[in-house]
Amino acid sequence: MMIQRLLALLTLLAATLTLSGCGYNDFQRLDEQSKAAWSEVLNQYQRRADLVPNIVATVKGEANFEQETLTKVVEARAKATAIQVTPETLNNPEAFSKFQQAQGELSSALSRLMVVSERYPTLQANQGFRDLRVTLEGTENRITVARNRYIQTVQEYNVLARSFPTNLTAMAFSYAPKPSFTVANEAQIAVPPTVDFSASKAKP
Amino acid sequence: MLLALRKYALTAILLIAILPSFGWTQSQLLAVPALTGHVIDQTGTLSGTDTQALEVQLATLEKVHGSQVVVLMVPTTAPEDIVAYANRVGNQWKIGRRDVGDGVLVLVAKSDRKMRIEVAKSLEGAIPDIAAARIIDGAMKPRFQQGDFAGGLSAAVTQIGARIAGEALPGPASAPAAAIRGDSHGLFDWTDFAIFLFFGVMVAGPLARSILGAALGGLALGGGVGVLAFVFTSSLLLSVGAGVIALLYTWFFGGSSGLISLGHGGGGLGGWSSGSSGGSSSSDGGGFSSGGGGDFGGGGASGDW
Repeated sequence: MMIQRLLALLTLLAATLTLSGCGYNDFQRLDEQSKAAWSEVLNQYQRRADLVPNIVATVKGEANFEQETLTKVVEARAKATAIQVTPETLNNPEAFSKFQQAQGELSSALSRLMVVSERYPTLQANQGFRDLRVTLEGTENRITVARNRYIQTVQEYNVLARSFPTNLTAMAFSYAPKPSFTVANEAQIAVPPTVDFSASKAKP
Repeated sequence: MLLALRKYALTAILLIAILPSFGWTQSQLLAVPALTGHVIDQTGTLSGTDTQALEVQLATLEKVHGSQVVVLMVPTTAPEDIVAYANRVGNQWKIGRRDVGDGVLVLVAKSDRKMRIEVAKSLEGAIPDIAAARIIDGAMKPRFQQGDFAGGLSAAVTQIGARIAGEALPGPASAPAAAIRGDSHGLFDWTDFAIFLFFGVMVAGPLARSILGAALGGLALGGGVGVLAFVFTSSLLLSVGAGVIALLYTWFFGGSSGLISLGHGGGGLGGWSSGSSGGSSSSDGGGFSSGGGGDFGGGGASGDW
């Protein structure tokens, strides 16, 4: 009776310890964390995509604004939003890089638009445009942070999936390492060249 | 050729082994200063009285609304730009109450002639990017251009305070409660350890009593639990507390099986409460400490002068 109870308790104890030792719970935690981080990345990209029509509308109000730049932004946005992103995108490196490329194109089109807009004083004086510029800048910052966090979480997950002894757990439950943003972009993130709207201004 | 390759592989292995423990982005970047107060001036720009006045202003803000606003002045943020540095500082300090996460970092890079208001996620509603940009353009920029840093910062803090006051945040009464929980145990899994001790003492208590006798068994178990707790938590207070509780449990309840269920409940509870008080005493160092709840997601605005 007493021995049996002791055994049951010990089994429970052993089960708790092994479960936390083999990293199963860590896998669950990091898997959810990386999914949440990825959703945040998508969320911020969506926020930027939603911002673009407002910016385009405001810039259009400016007479004889460079049409080519505007068209490029509109096209890039259409392309970026046309890509269907599902959780499976994470496990499909090809779709992942396609998504990344489309968003990168929108980034460069937008920063080009902002550089060009410096040439239009009336646009610069427009409070609405200035607010949009601040919002866009903030969104780009949030994208950077969200991507950074995704990269960190995935790194943690991948280390767990590949290192001993947790890789045995990964093998048993078939947890594959997740893709991250590519090296070229990672270097960009480390020193974020965020759109600097005031660079052309002469320093006093 | 082969040797070079092997050398390369060894370096890679070494790097991989080191990376997770040190954090590879921190190597050449500007270090995050220690959070010593509401105002940290590394440039020596603000006079003693200015710093004092700002400190009082920010402490009052924290007392009235509970939000933590910190002013940091550095010479430069190179090699990062001010946005990345501000975000890193914010997320390392985690200013803002633990359960609310309401922190704001006002960063001035004096030689770069740049400033930034970095807003934690939970205050992005109270201080949206556009509002932060207006504070920078309206309050800070004109005064900074005239060299009036104290005035610009004070005006900015006033406006930030007004924006925070307009937001329905929980009252500041929860601030001390947040501090008690402590925040330095991020790496350690409390639940696992608590479960382990809980069952361990319950099982080993009667065992130690039957083998070594009541007095000696209690002593041995108490010592064992204390050492174990110290190894796992490296907190002396906590481990002594856990050891004493294990000792008392074994002495008083370990022998009679009728009292076991009552006894281990008391032991478990005692262990927890001593754990949290240990945490509080280690985290309550000085007069000002970070609430540890601020999560900075890149919100806020930057400007220059």
